[in-house]
Amino acid sequence: MASAAAPAAQSAPPSLSLPPSQFARLQPHAYLLAHLSPPATSNQPSIRANGRAPSQFRITSANTGSLTHTNGSAVVRVGDTTAVCGVRAELLPTEDIASWSVSRSAAATTNKRRKLTDPTQKLTEEIGDESDLDADADDQSHIEDLNLLVPNLSLSTGCAPGFIPGAPPSSLAQSLSHQILALLHTTRLVRAEDLRVWYQPPNLGAEDLERHNESEQMDVDAEEAGEKDKEIKAFWVLYIDVMIVSLAGNPFDAAWASVLAALRDTKLPRAWWDIDNEMVVCSDAVSESHKLTLRGMPVASSFCVFEADAAAGWRAVIIPDAEEERQIEESNRKGVQRRWILADPDGYEEGLTQERACIVVDKKQGGKGKLVIVKMEKNGGWALDSEELRKLVDISAKRWEDVRQVIGQC
Amino acid sequence: MVGPTTSLTPLSRADGSASYQCPATGANILGSVNAPIELPGRRDALKPEDATVEVFIKPGTAPGGVGERYVEGIIKSMLGRLVLGREKSYARRGIVVTLAIVGGESKPRGDSYLTVLPALLQTSLLALLSASVPLSMTFSATVLGVNTLGEIIREPAPTDAAAATSLHVLAFSSKGHLLLNESRGSFDFDTWERIRQRALTICHGTLSGSPDGDVAMVEDVDGQPLEGVVRETVEDKYHQDYAWKIDAA
Amino acid sequence: METVKTKDSAPGAATRPQRQRQSNELRKIFLKTGLIPSASGSSYLEFEPSPALAAARSTPKSLIPPSSALKLACTVHGPKPLPRSATFSPNLVLTTHVKYAPFAARKRKGHIRDASERDLGVHLETALRGVIVAERWPKSGLDITITIIEAEDDRWWGDAPDSHDAPWGMMNVLAGCITAASAAIADARIDCLDLVAGGVAAIVSDGDDAAPRLVLDCDPAEHWSILSACVVAYMPSRDEITELWLKGDGSKAVLSADDKRLGNEALLDGAVDAARGAHTVLAEAVRESAERYAGLALGGPAR
Repeated sequence: MASAAAPAAQSAPPSLSLPPSQFARLQPHAYLLAHLSPPATSNQPSIRANGRAPSQFRITSANTGSLTHTNGSAVVRVGDTTAVCGVRAELLPTEDIASWSVSRSAAATTNKRRKLTDPTQKLTEEIGDESDLDADADDQSHIEDLNLLVPNLSLSTGCAPGFIPGAPPSSLAQSLSHQILALLHTTRLVRAEDLRVWYQPPNLGAEDLERHNESEQMDVDAEEAGEKDKEIKAFWVLYIDVMIVSLAGNPFDAAWASVLAALRDTKLPRAWWDIDNEMVVCSDAVSESHKLTLRGMPVASSFCVFEADAAAGWRAVIIPDAEEERQIEESNRKGVQRRWILADPDGYEEGLTQERACIVVDKKQGGKGKLVIVKMEKNGGWALDSEELRKLVDISAKRWEDVRQVIGQC
Repeated sequence: MVGPTTSLTPLSRADGSASYQCPATGANILGSVNAPIELPGRRDALKPEDATVEVFIKPGTAPGGVGERYVEGIIKSMLGRLVLGREKSYARRGIVVTLAIVGGESKPRGDSYLTVLPALLQTSLLALLSASVPLSMTFSATVLGVNTLGEIIREPAPTDAAAATSLHVLAFSSKGHLLLNESRGSFDFDTWERIRQRALTICHGTLSGSPDGDVAMVEDVDGQPLEGVVRETVEDKYHQDYAWKIDAA
Repeated sequence: METVKTKDSAPGAATRPQRQRQSNELRKIFLKTGLIPSASGSSYLEFEPSPALAAARSTPKSLIPPSSALKLACTVHGPKPLPRSATFSPNLVLTTHVKYAPFAARKRKGHIRDASERDLGVHLETALRGVIVAERWPKSGLDITITIIEAEDDRWWGDAPDSHDAPWGMMNVLAGCITAASAAIADARIDCLDLVAGGVAAIVSDGDDAAPRLVLDCDPAEHWSILSACVVAYMPSRDEITELWLKGDGSKAVLSADDKRLGNEALLDGAVDAARGAHTVLAEAVRESAERYAGLALGGPAR
């Protein structure tokens, strides 16, 4: 028996090697490093553990309008990260706003101030916006002061093991909600005009307000005298709720893409002031509803920096000067790479890296205009400086094209 | 340009503390650091070989909200990279940084928080120094705005910040690395490059590198470089505390 | 404050969707496992939209949807060690958590779990506790989280809210939760006695004079009035019920001349039949999950 077993054991020596999945769990850093820096002899390209090239994003898909009880909805999948976004519009009558009558009387002065600063205003438009429809100065202040956009992101959906359902929102969820809100405000994505419900006393022609749209808004200034009595009776408040159903790294890109796609899908019913009942009523007819006209299409791209030297933290750190570092980088260009910038990190990579960057870009005139950076953040390390950031902006510009196609198709 | 007013260790019961006032942005921050301390009840969650940095921000008038969580996250990940958490007696302990916004205007919901961020960062650095937490390097941070005419405004006042087309917060290490960048608004990369250059001058002064590797800090239009403010604050404190010894010598 | 009015400003102008299925015919169920890789087990469940809803989607006329179709995602995390503060348990500790998305129903849901959501969680836990072989994992916990992305209607929207005031939609939601959780538990490879499936039956009346009749898998929007409804969690191979929830009074309902069963008995049989139907879908989804797992195992070390 023993003699029979011996040759069999020789032909298949008991290997102590671990399957790749186990190795990935036991030595995550070494595992990713081995993928990114293959031996020079093997002639293999540097590739991430998930099979992507360093600057490659995951496959993104989007689907809109599938949720019944929303004004607009979208499901965006970026690899295994899934974000579901639903937009619900609710009416906020101006009589319910405590400060409304006060702020309205102040509106006249803002108008005057706008006239004074007209030359600079023009410049803003050139820099910021493709159209001159949105010159009104209190456009943004309505959205910001009255909180007309209310985004909220939830991670307590069982999307990843760390988030306990039922607990108060984690600081990650809170900070993502804040980032979405701040980005909605800085990009001025939603026009306040779309959210206003106007009322014009009938003596000025009732059919005018029936067909109230932006083309009419364009000559508001010209008809200012005639439209003096026109007043805002209500605002639409957009509740933008994002549920991260599955989290596998990079929640912000997916969440923002879902918000964008859902807002593009949003239809608001026609609403008007009913003078007899003294309330705002809406029509349920789809033909009368209007879509939001968004300003541009900002797309977010996130990156992380993976450093080869995992043991750096264990030793007394000697951090070279920025200048010296540049020289080291130069000399190492042909040799061993020490840092990799990974686009769209998955959960595994996020756990191994500290330095993050997020760039939100937009192109005006539907992609033909020049590239505008809307937000650029880097934090948690010192590998990314202007040279690297410039490259990342270029990558983000390419990503913008891809995401535009994905979102544009639905 | 009026520089910031700082003081080290104004609080006697915390391990370290600092106050920081920036006259331009109107920010007035009081910070305290307790380190190293045992974080109760969370031994499982702590890293076995490293210190855990916790940051709490208390706004002046309102209770903390989502905006504070976001800024806490930014400061935490930045300090986490600078603190030498594996030094003796720091592993598995906590470093708790508490920053109270004492003065200035309250922040509306969804505000970007960028105007006070540099003050918060500077305060946390001074407080960490005051608590003698080992750091791999120091840093200095500033905020710049670009107005509608394309001019760069240093440390814009709240009204200027609201009117600016873009706002940028940059932090540079004492060794010249770009540690943090937070930019909002609409701008292009060349504008940002100009911003970066200006911010580097504000933080480090006009660099005149001498052959022996020392970087001299020279004053210019931007007044004293911020890096120097940190150094001077610590030097002043040192002179005060060791006056008896220095006099004796 | 929002007031929704139809074009003719009378809800009667819009028509109630009609049930076009046979009374014993179920809606199609879409059930897929393993869509959430960070969880140990996961499933996604969707009910087929009713013909009225499908028509409203393809050719939209009104912004008010005629009915809605259940959509939910379920994740299972564990078995994992209990937190140190927890007391010793010789069995697997099961935690269930059901949460509606804010946009799941016609009325916006809050971010904090309300009574009905907690209620669903308790019902779900009862349904599953009898199925899992809990003594196999001492000192361990299992978290089951369900996110309801779209809920079922409690009644047709055009009816006054207080006309028949039971949250009938919850029954359908619970049945969906049970089936989805069962698939997710199997996907997490947790030992169970059987695949438990949820089913709903109801005694409905389509008008004042119409005789009450028994329907399986009722969509509350399609009926004038629901007298009584019942949801069960049922294990077909053992013929056991782990959870039974009956609402309304159907005991006095006379179904038909040839059916001598009591109202509640008929209701229970109907719910079990519905659960059997859901079980076939469930078995198929679990088979897919097992095949996927086997495929992964083949790629790994030889066994």
